Amino acid sequence: MLQVSKAPGSPATLLEIANLTKSFDGVKAVEDVSLRLREGIITTLVGPNGAGKTTLFNLITGHLRPTSGDIRWQDESIVGTAPWKIARLGVARTFQDLRLFSHMTVFENVLTVMEKSAWFWQSEAGSGAERHQRVHEILEATGLQHNAGVRANDLAYAERKFLSMARIMATKAKMWLLDEPASGLDPRSYERFVTLLRGEVRRGITICIIEHNLEIVVSISDRISFLDQGRLLADGEPEEILGNPELSSIYFGERNS
Amino acid sequence: MIAYLVNLATLVCINAILAITLNFIMGYAGIFSLAHAVFFGVGAYVAAFIALQWTDALLLQLPAAMLIAGTISAALALPALRVRGDYFVAASLGFQVLAATVFSEWKSVTGGIGGLVGIPPASIAGHAFSDPVQFLGLAGVTLALVVVLTRAIVRSSFGRSLKAIRDSESAALAFGKNVALIKTLSVFYSTAVCAVAGVLYADYLSFINVESFTIDASTLFMAMVIVGGIGTVWGPIVGAVLLTLLPAALTYLPFLPRTEIGSVQQMVYGLAMVLLMIFKPDGLMGAKRGEA
Repeated sequence: MLQVSKAPGSPATLLEIANLTKSFDGVKAVEDVSLRLREGIITTLVGPNGAGKTTLFNLITGHLRPTSGDIRWQDESIVGTAPWKIARLGVARTFQDLRLFSHMTVFENVLTVMEKSAWFWQSEAGSGAERHQRVHEILEATGLQHNAGVRANDLAYAERKFLSMARIMATKAKMWLLDEPASGLDPRSYERFVTLLRGEVRRGITICIIEHNLEIVVSISDRISFLDQGRLLADGEPEEILGNPELSSIYFGERNS
Repeated sequence: MIAYLVNLATLVCINAILAITLNFIMGYAGIFSLAHAVFFGVGAYVAAFIALQWTDALLLQLPAAMLIAGTISAALALPALRVRGDYFVAASLGFQVLAATVFSEWKSVTGGIGGLVGIPPASIAGHAFSDPVQFLGLAGVTLALVVVLTRAIVRSSFGRSLKAIRDSESAALAFGKNVALIKTLSVFYSTAVCAVAGVLYADYLSFINVESFTIDASTLFMAMVIVGGIGTVWGPIVGAVLLTLLPAALTYLPFLPRTEIGSVQQMVYGLAMVLLMIFKPDGLMGAKRGEA
């Protein structure tokens, strides 16, 4: 690993990954990765396809179990914890392929995220009217207010991406893991998207985002972690990572050595 | 003639309850069970056994049947938590075949192949429902209760969680849904209420045997749900009405010899299913899909 930055005086660590490895039938998708996600900032994971970025998300959220290593959320290990429990601890995510609740309306997609509802009779935080009010606010903020009654399946592409964001906004999570949320958006939409994200960080949300578009990476990142072939190659301030010729040659596929 | 129509209407009510409960797990939880007739049978056998051994009191038969069917539903819920889609269909098919064997072999409880005869009509607070018209009323009220309760659940936060799981299990997990518990509860509800239909069936016919609870019955119930429209409120009821009345209607065709009705019926079913899948793949009430 290149020692790019020591980052002195950086904010508290919310999630710590220590020597994490995940192999699938002997192939290491993630290999000995150690990484801290710090509170109140946007950390961007960059790297070529197959670098292990999404696998890292799946390991954090419990959708996959690590082969070895540890993941600590606020100093408690969460390895082996069920995904729905990790979500309730405060880690929410989006999916690269969105995984919207496709036969439900936009309104229901957001509402159901606010409801735990493991039991028929389970009481919820706040009244039904308050939840409905909050759903409308979120739809307003994501520009979906006119599509509340539309089935998720019937939305246009950009609207689907924003619904994926609306859903995560409805959680009470402290940390958001966003898997390529801006890919395929036109320039105007991603301007809206960046503004939305900045607003959420100001609200105190910690974000870790996988992103390929360098323009977006530059405009949103507080820190960048660079992965390649399952390994963390560098971790530091955006200028240091993006200015490093060795890393950019890997990213742009000019690997010779 | 009246007696004949009352009989058909009663069977429609019972089949509608079966279709609604199957639709609850197929349409809202995404669990495609080919073992629904097992729980129909469990309800019927429990009611018959209690009626013949102890009491004809409906309000004792119902909770016993629901509880036993709901408990046995763990046999369905466990594979449903592990596998999805085709694999679960195969698992439920295996369970159905196994249960039918138990129904026909466990002679001391089920009466074996011959079944149980002379089941007394159900009674509530000492009033016996021996008059078919009164029994139709009982079946109709039960159906109405099932419709209201199922609708309320589907529209509740629990129903939304169920639909979320159906549409994307991994996303539901990522948003804090306890998928295993929600699926288990939904299967419990579906099978327990399915057993209610079994209780009514045994008390109504006063005779039951394994033939009503085989894979053929499970297939028919699934056909009702698919014909009517999976995941719709009225679809399973429409499907139950059509597929219950169709065989009766065929007997009125004058040019059909009595002996041929069975095979003609199968051909009509088959043809109707093929045409439906071509022209209305979401079922007759399919346009309403996705609504609660």
